[in-house]
Amino acid sequence: MFEPENWYWLYDIPQGRLTLLFIGAFVGFYWIGSILVRPLLRQFVKRTPGSNDIVGYVLSCFCVFYGLLLGLIAVTAYQNVADAGANVTHEAAALAALYEDVSRYPEPHAQNLRWLLRDYARYVIRYAWPLQQRGIIPEEGTIRADAFHDRLLEFEPETPAQEIIHAEALRQLNEFLEARQMRLFSVKSSLPASMWWVMILGAVFNIFLCWMFDMRFITQLILGGILAAYLGTMIHLIFDMNQPFRGDVSISAEPFEALYARMNED
Amino acid sequence: MRPGHATDRRISRRDLVAGGGTAATLAAARALAPALFAGCSLGVPHRQPTVTLGLLHSQTGPLAISASSLRDIELHACERINAAGGLLGRTLVARAPDPRSRPERFATVAARLLDEGAVALFGCWTSSARKAVIPIVEEFQKLLFYAVQYEGNESSKYCIYGGMVPNQQMLPALDWLLGPAGGNRRKPFFVGSDYVYPRTATFIASKYLATKDVKPVGAAYRPLGDRDFGGVVKKIIASGADCVVNTVNGDSNMALFAALAAAKVEPTKVPVISTSIAEDELRSLLPEQVTGHYAVSSYFQSIDTPTNRDWIRGFRNEFGRDRVTGDPMEPDWCLFHLWTRAVEKAGSFETDAVRQAFRDGLEFAGPGGTVTLDPKTQHTTKWCRIGRIRPDRQFEIVHEQGPIDPDPYPQVAFPGWSVDWTKDGVTRGPEVAIDGDV
Repeated sequence: MFEPENWYWLYDIPQGRLTLLFIGAFVGFYWIGSILVRPLLRQFVKRTPGSNDIVGYVLSCFCVFYGLLLGLIAVTAYQNVADAGANVTHEAAALAALYEDVSRYPEPHAQNLRWLLRDYARYVIRYAWPLQQRGIIPEEGTIRADAFHDRLLEFEPETPAQEIIHAEALRQLNEFLEARQMRLFSVKSSLPASMWWVMILGAVFNIFLCWMFDMRFITQLILGGILAAYLGTMIHLIFDMNQPFRGDVSISAEPFEALYARMNED
Repeated sequence: MRPGHATDRRISRRDLVAGGGTAATLAAARALAPALFAGCSLGVPHRQPTVTLGLLHSQTGPLAISASSLRDIELHACERINAAGGLLGRTLVARAPDPRSRPERFATVAARLLDEGAVALFGCWTSSARKAVIPIVEEFQKLLFYAVQYEGNESSKYCIYGGMVPNQQMLPALDWLLGPAGGNRRKPFFVGSDYVYPRTATFIASKYLATKDVKPVGAAYRPLGDRDFGGVVKKIIASGADCVVNTVNGDSNMALFAALAAAKVEPTKVPVISTSIAEDELRSLLPEQVTGHYAVSSYFQSIDTPTNRDWIRGFRNEFGRDRVTGDPMEPDWCLFHLWTRAVEKAGSFETDAVRQAFRDGLEFAGPGGTVTLDPKTQHTTKWCRIGRIRPDRQFEIVHEQGPIDPDPYPQVAFPGWSVDWTKDGVTRGPEVAIDGDV
């Protein structure tokens, strides 16, 4: 149920509406439960003196643990996005350095190698990014990287200066390939399903405990609704950061776009 | 029950809120349910249905230098069609795996693409690759669109040929060489890569030259991708050749022209006329080694027409201002658009419907001139142009004729053979043994 691909369609909803959807789902669940389930739950505690104090004590204890859990998960998810973003920047930077290195090669090697790198950058922007945004690992970038690798290895330096440039290009190529692989790994990186279960169950328990409070109905709807709305916002935030390349808050292809524009100016 | 009891019961504010809340929640749930379950009314962007095309071009190996540009021009065509709303309301999705310049991989990759739902294949460079793929498209009953010039002597119901055949390229080039414009040459030497196209093209050329009382002075073949042409050039010089007809493919051309230049073979005395060199290949050749030699082709970037200029501009805007266009990029572009016109006319991507649309005759005004698909041979009409290589890696067009109708079975080489896909397909004549020796 919490496998990422089952929920990919949610990422296609615009950010504002998705936030409202999450809040609406949590508040709606709380309100419907307040009408249908609350009278039953209150039976357990109704005849106990000071029942609200007991429920309040349990709820506050629970909220501490749950809040810590949510916070840690949010930090993990953010770190995941930040790491993926750093990989993308690193890959684009390595590609730019490689482009500069091969521009120092003698012709026609320089032009052939530059074209292959430009082709790679174009593929990443035009084809790989939309696939990543759908949670699909793009395959054909590997072919372009291999084409460049093969062509680079065909070059045989003839002077000491060329040897130095070639060695530097090969080193840069390894950095680029490493960063590229990291980007591909992060396409499908997300929180494990068990973590989602714990988060959702925690939210439900929170709401159950709120239903047990003995107070005026309208007060319960408002106070519980606020709590449910905030739970929805937090879980939406984590959901949005769960997939680094999906949703409105995701890593963009901007570093590659800037590089490609510069490549085309040459 | 006391009389009037029912009327005494008053509805409390609490009851009102509970009832109202229930009603509002149920109403909201009912209103949101279709959107939630269908995911369509929440601003989810509508995704057009897609149709997959398979692009079969080597992106690594010795043929990558030539074949990658075909992939690019096909991607460019797909992108333009998609930007204009797609084809029959569908977005074209091009899948381009890498057959790595190996014919056996072409077959494997083609089968995989068709198995995964590709409606047609565009690609192949060498004849050995095409011949490996044709049984696959025949098995799947899908069309292969092949844009490279080739040797003819072949026709498949499931292959549409967009490149030149010898009667549109090699034979007019020989006529030009034998004539005053070409220097009245009488001692041609044939050099090629060692596979089916160069050997068959040389065979057809020899038969044709025999009708003109001209005998080639020699022929030599080197493996595809080979870099050692020193021995071949020695043979050329020893033969006393007054021109070289070059059917070498891919990177090997660099080694051939380097060896010719090292041996001081001058284009004014022994010009080389190449069938597989276009602007893309010229990038890798040193101008001082190739300037003054010739190439025969249906298209050169230097064609000065508004259609061609627009086409080049469009391609360069997308793929880089220093990119070049050439043959077979232009035939590939024409072939792609002939396919889209056939699909539009048929209203379907199904092979039979598309073939039927082709049968009714289709033409496309391409950058190199209007091409017509001949439904009998499933080949296109062609212009034959001869270009002299300039120091700026472009061609100066010195001769053009056309449009020339395709004849995949020139009678001078394949007596009794013919093809008519509007009737019975291939009519077979006596078997012809082809070795490519002269």
